[in-house]
Amino acid sequence: MQLNTTMAVNRISDEIWEIPVSEKPGMLVPARIYATKQILTAMDSGVFEQVTNVACLPGIRRYALCMPDGHWGYGFPIGGVAAFDPREGIISPGGVGYDINCGMRLLRTDLTLADVQPKLDALMTELFRKVPAGVGSKGFVRLTRQEFDEVLRKGARWCIERGYGWSEDLQRIEERGCIAGADPSKVSPHAVERGIGQLGTLGSGNHYLEVQVAANDRIFDPATAAKLGITGHDQIVVMVHCGSRGFGHQVASDYLKVFEKAMKRYGISVKDQQLACAPFRSPEGQDYFTAMNCAANSAFANRQVITHRIREAFATVFGRSAEELGMHIIYDVAHNIAKVERYEEGDLVVHRKGATRAFGPGSPELPDLYRETGQPVICGGSMETGSYLLIGTDRAMHETFGSTMHGSGRTMSRAQAKRSVRGDQLQQRMAARGIIVKAVSMSGLAEEAGFAYKNISEVVETVDLAGITKKVAELRPIGNIKG
Amino acid sequence: MAPFIFLENIVLADAAFEATGDSPSELFESAAQAVIETMVDPRTVAATWHRIIKRQDGDLASLLFDWLSDIVYLKDAEGVVFRTAEAAVSHDAASGIWRLRGTLAGAPIDVGRQDLRADVKAVTKHLYEVRRGERSGQETWLARVVLDI
Repeated sequence: MQLNTTMAVNRISDEIWEIPVSEKPGMLVPARIYATKQILTAMDSGVFEQVTNVACLPGIRRYALCMPDGHWGYGFPIGGVAAFDPREGIISPGGVGYDINCGMRLLRTDLTLADVQPKLDALMTELFRKVPAGVGSKGFVRLTRQEFDEVLRKGARWCIERGYGWSEDLQRIEERGCIAGADPSKVSPHAVERGIGQLGTLGSGNHYLEVQVAANDRIFDPATAAKLGITGHDQIVVMVHCGSRGFGHQVASDYLKVFEKAMKRYGISVKDQQLACAPFRSPEGQDYFTAMNCAANSAFANRQVITHRIREAFATVFGRSAEELGMHIIYDVAHNIAKVERYEEGDLVVHRKGATRAFGPGSPELPDLYRETGQPVICGGSMETGSYLLIGTDRAMHETFGSTMHGSGRTMSRAQAKRSVRGDQLQQRMAARGIIVKAVSMSGLAEEAGFAYKNISEVVETVDLAGITKKVAELRPIGNIKG
Repeated sequence: MAPFIFLENIVLADAAFEATGDSPSELFESAAQAVIETMVDPRTVAATWHRIIKRQDGDLASLLFDWLSDIVYLKDAEGVVFRTAEAAVSHDAASGIWRLRGTLAGAPIDVGRQDLRADVKAVTKHLYEVRRGERSGQETWLARVVLDI
């Protein structure tokens, strides 16, 4: 087997591969990669280098992990998961990413493809109007600094109090849409100035709002699907992928600088500048943690305001209220975050960077609604292929700190994708296949062409076979909004 | 020699470039223009908004990093995209301090008029490098920068 590394990569099972501590000086634990042989051989060299760099960080427990959608990132690989002892270990913005609490939200409806098809163009136009996207886009919510601080403290809860959502929404969001211990005094004025006008906006890059179809033949676990609100019969659902926008990006940038200096003070050396970190319990570590929680809450609020606008758009186009259309949230998950969670070792600071929490049945953190099924997991594919709804398992709790994949992962550079297709050509090609695309940037659209990504189905098969999440349904796109 | 080139093979999901100049001032202008062109086609942006940025630092690489980060910050905070960037960089040998006086020109974001590209999240330290070199006996400056998209 030819891999993009000279390190020894030992087979643990068909879906788990291990790099022993002997492969790099300073490794404190082995690195484990979840992948089929096919996915492993295609993984870029950055994955092997970066996951073993993570394995060198102080206080790491068990393994440095990488999910099958893993690829090169900043500091941690995308798809990286690592847990640290809060007493001896660190916290690192490089293990969270610049887009703090970038995540996925999925809404269900009672509508079918037959209901939506005749009005699809009008629906996508209305959604494009209601949900701003693209470079520096501004939202419709105007906030004072005091109100923005409330958003940072309360997250989606603030939105519900302001009428941007239903009270039942909160139980269908990771952490009920509000992470405790968010202190706005720990964020910079620059971060506030970047984020205060952006609530309810998508951004650009790989962020999107997608109208999708759940067809009967793509439901793999009908009983669980029904419990999550997926009834099939070409049911229409809506998926949102976005994060904390400029606010979260600035928090990450600010604290990388703080940590570069702090590392010298604490005598920490790292293999990569982007792994800058501080002891979790140090003043710098705690300041970042609370600022990161502010950004996480702002992302929950961002997706909540977008949800409100989606419901308004559907109500306008179909002439019925969102309640009548059955537009309940299925779930909202973060895939760029660090959290304190309890495992066999006790409390651990779990970093997920391009990886999703996937708690199994019976987890006390889950709402009653999903206590029996396990946590819904939403994984976005490319705009041309499809996305997946999965469910958390007990196995993930024991093997991967309750974590799984988050998406498909790029295999082609943005420039190469743009050379391969023009945005308007892609738009026409997708229209011919029944997918209406509205995009602010045609070059940005070309960069997100399906061929620039891994086949998400192969990635999903890996986590399903490994048993760290189980497939529930595949969701096929019919309309997409991009920045 | 082009003031900047985008590098394809070092990042898949983001944007990377190498900027050059015959002086630190030229380098700062070239790198700023690369950031600007990642966000928008500057030919579609008017010059109705202006901002002067003054910064100083003992380390030229840090000064460049902050200058480029200012552009990303202003894009969100002021809701603008940019047409041009001018930079005057000087070095005080006695104190070792580098000083920048930068001028940005651009316009409020307007989806209808501007050819918008990618919403840059951050300037990163991944493979970040600023170095002085020599070409045909003449001083040159080079920076490699990766932007998170």
